[in-house]
Amino acid sequence: MASVIPGASAGRRCAEPDYATLEAAASWYATLHSDEAGAADRQAWQAWLEQSEAHARAWSYIETVSQRFDPLRTGGHQAALAGVKAARRGSAGRRQVLRGLAGVFGLGMAGWMGWRHSALPETLLAWGADYRTATGEQREITLADGSRVWLNTDSALRVDYQAGARRLTLAAGEILVETGQDASQRPFYVDTRFGRMQALGTRFSVRHDARRTRLDVFASAVEINNAAGKVQRVEAGESAEFTADGIAALGQAERAREAWRRGVVVADNIPLGALIEDLARYQRGHLGVAPEVAELSVVGVYPATDTERALAMLENTLPIRVKRRTSWWVTLEAR
Amino acid sequence: MSTSGHTAAIEHLYIDHHPWLQGWLRRRLGCAADAADLAQDAFLRLLATPRQFNTAFEARGYLRCMANGLCIDLWRRREVEQAWLQTLACHPEAVEPSPEQRALVVETLLEIGAMLGRLSQKAAAAFLMAQVDGLPYREIAAQLGVSDRMVKKYIAQAMLQCVLIEAGHPG
Repeated sequence: MASVIPGASAGRRCAEPDYATLEAAASWYATLHSDEAGAADRQAWQAWLEQSEAHARAWSYIETVSQRFDPLRTGGHQAALAGVKAARRGSAGRRQVLRGLAGVFGLGMAGWMGWRHSALPETLLAWGADYRTATGEQREITLADGSRVWLNTDSALRVDYQAGARRLTLAAGEILVETGQDASQRPFYVDTRFGRMQALGTRFSVRHDARRTRLDVFASAVEINNAAGKVQRVEAGESAEFTADGIAALGQAERAREAWRRGVVVADNIPLGALIEDLARYQRGHLGVAPEVAELSVVGVYPATDTERALAMLENTLPIRVKRRTSWWVTLEAR
Repeated sequence: MSTSGHTAAIEHLYIDHHPWLQGWLRRRLGCAADAADLAQDAFLRLLATPRQFNTAFEARGYLRCMANGLCIDLWRRREVEQAWLQTLACHPEAVEPSPEQRALVVETLLEIGAMLGRLSQKAAAAFLMAQVDGLPYREIAAQLGVSDRMVKKYIAQAMLQCVLIEAGHPG
């Protein structure tokens, strides 16, 4: 390429490769490492390299990049891939989700569809916690009195056992509790920022997000005492939700609120939109449903932490298709 | 402000706000050692980029904001390290890496993660298989379920992303 700029500006910068040169260098790299690369390829590459200073400089960047991978070689590519995935989750993913929200879609869709906001607020909440799980992770803990607690995806829990009471604080996410027999008969509380639940029985689940706390009782009873001082007893087989202001009965306890402990999401004749909202909690990025298919009824058992498979199962049984704009932005639409 | 004046100002800030910042970080992180490290880090950064504050309130606001960023960094590092170690532990022949090695690996993973940020999952995987284990394209293609030609394309794409960043090219 002939330069129209006279000698004065032709200094160090001239040797800096432009986009096309870097692209050519990357392509040479891919060619030389392919299985069928031969002597002719290497000769052609050598000729390209000697053509200009910019070519040589571009190749030096290739070498620097290659060297950067050295520390990873001892661990192998699988460990490196897991690490890089975790690193990408934090950077590119968050940016893409935000960009996606600002762009193509109106906020009307986002309202009820359980798109995942940035990981930041969850992280902040979780720092004060004794136990936390990442998105897609579940965990079982046993407390001092033998009580067992399962933490669902993206949850943060503080445990505070004192002489007078056993107290758990759920900062975010969902837990399933099986209380143990306490020798000194201390009361067992679960607190969220909307109020307190006292276990009068043994088995219940609590799900908490920014808007409300949901309680499902599977054995005996639990008493809710919300921030406004309202009190309501929820019996086995019932469920309720509350905010700081009010408590509302929700009818039957949902099997799904117990089933997640086994790594499955249960849909017992619920709208597709509700199922997807539940599945979305197990993965980062956006997972949404178009309004025209959101009301379709779903029955079945879906793997919680294998979203791809769950979506494939839905695609097989419902008149929908899965549309992937990026790996971070997935929507279900009418077929 | 002269260099010595600047250092004196930092000294004052340190005396006035370091204990507070460390306490704030301890509450947030739940670990005294991590809190001490990050508080130190925050002041080192302040020393590197001079800033003037009109009130103590303003200084604490700035420090809190910076410390918050450092917490997020720390948490991300831990997450990346965890992911790497967990997968490493699945290999029976794996040797426990030293703390230095771990720190170096985490640094590398974060850098490479940022470099490969725009690529598809498969392109990133292909590139790592080739770079880290030196697998032939045929084997990468078989593992990813794509053609050899596609693997070559992935490698070129991935390398281009990396060299663009390495060369400081706006892309």
